Amino acid sequence: MGFAPGKPPPPMPPNQAPVAAQIPAQHGDEGPTLRKPGAMNEPFYLLRELPVGNDLTGNTNLITHYNLEHAYNKFCGKKVKEKLSNFLPELPGMIDCPGAQDGSSLRSLIEKNPVCGNSFSPLTGALLTGFRLHTGPLPEQYRLMHIQPPKKKSKHKHRHHRPQDPLPPETPSDSDPKKKKKKRDDDPDRKKKKKDKKKKKNRHSPDHPGLPGSQTNSNSLR
Amino acid sequence: MAEKFDNLEEHLEKFVENIRQLGIIVSDFQPSSQTGLNQKLNFMITGLQDIEKCRQQLHDINVPLEVFEYIDQGRNPQLYTKECLERALAKNEQVKGKIDTLTKFKSLLISELGKVFPEEMAKYKAIHGDDPPS
Repeated sequence: MGFAPGKPPPPMPPNQAPVAAQIPAQHGDEGPTLRKPGAMNEPFYLLRELPVGNDLTGNTNLITHYNLEHAYNKFCGKKVKEKLSNFLPELPGMIDCPGAQDGSSLRSLIEKNPVCGNSFSPLTGALLTGFRLHTGPLPEQYRLMHIQPPKKKSKHKHRHHRPQDPLPPETPSDSDPKKKKKKRDDDPDRKKKKKDKKKKKNRHSPDHPGLPGSQTNSNSLR
Repeated sequence: MAEKFDNLEEHLEKFVENIRQLGIIVSDFQPSSQTGLNQKLNFMITGLQDIEKCRQQLHDINVPLEVFEYIDQGRNPQLYTKECLERALAKNEQVKGKIDTLTKFKSLLISELGKVFPEEMAKYKAIHGDDPPS
């Protein structure tokens, strides 16, 4: 038995509906329902209905849609400080350390639920006798509660200036207000450091007559 | 809504302050401090009672677990909010780009198909109507 090469089926008369069209539409597995049976004669035999349009798509700016512009400018416009102590400045103790180090993590609170359901009742006289402590200071390793990390008000600036060097003349770049501010801030500190170093040098080292700087130093003391 | 947070915040601040003072008393204990210590211990218990009362007002508040990761690492939880907003905006822009690209592709495809298959495209437009550019 052999097979002849395939021939295209003859065109169906328009009145005769195909058998397949009489099968009721099956829902569930096939996704969107197929088009009307009468349209299956059209050249687009797999044409499906377009999905229902959604008003809210990625085309809309969702930040504006949900009125989050203020929040966006607040958190993303300005620099948010990294440490937890910047968020909770009044909280005592070393809170910037990871919670896993001293067992104070919130994750451990979720994983190992504490005992709940009991009521909080005040301690009676008999129970308070358990809180009679020895007099004297605590050992060093337990003295952590009220210790605050040192608050760095100003950034660490290393400026090594030799007291013999004269102050540099003002350049056009020094006309920036920021640089001027830095110089103003450092001036009282600079003066103090210079004075201290001058005093030490004059006590311990002989003056060199050839150096112009030393002459000015010696003159300033007089 | 802000009031219930303020209430809880106030109770927590008082509680923390009480604990801090308790720590100071204990760090260098004297016999005369015993009464003060007992008082602070009872304040601690009443503080916990007050915080427990606040719980009922906040039963519908949900906190994302990812924030806990930030706090456990000693980082500012506002960074989580910032990163959420930045990610949302980035994703929004990415999806908008895809929508724009696919819209352009659709209009280009329809126009080219219309040149190659004018009759079929006319039938397609008759079935679907003239789709407005989405």
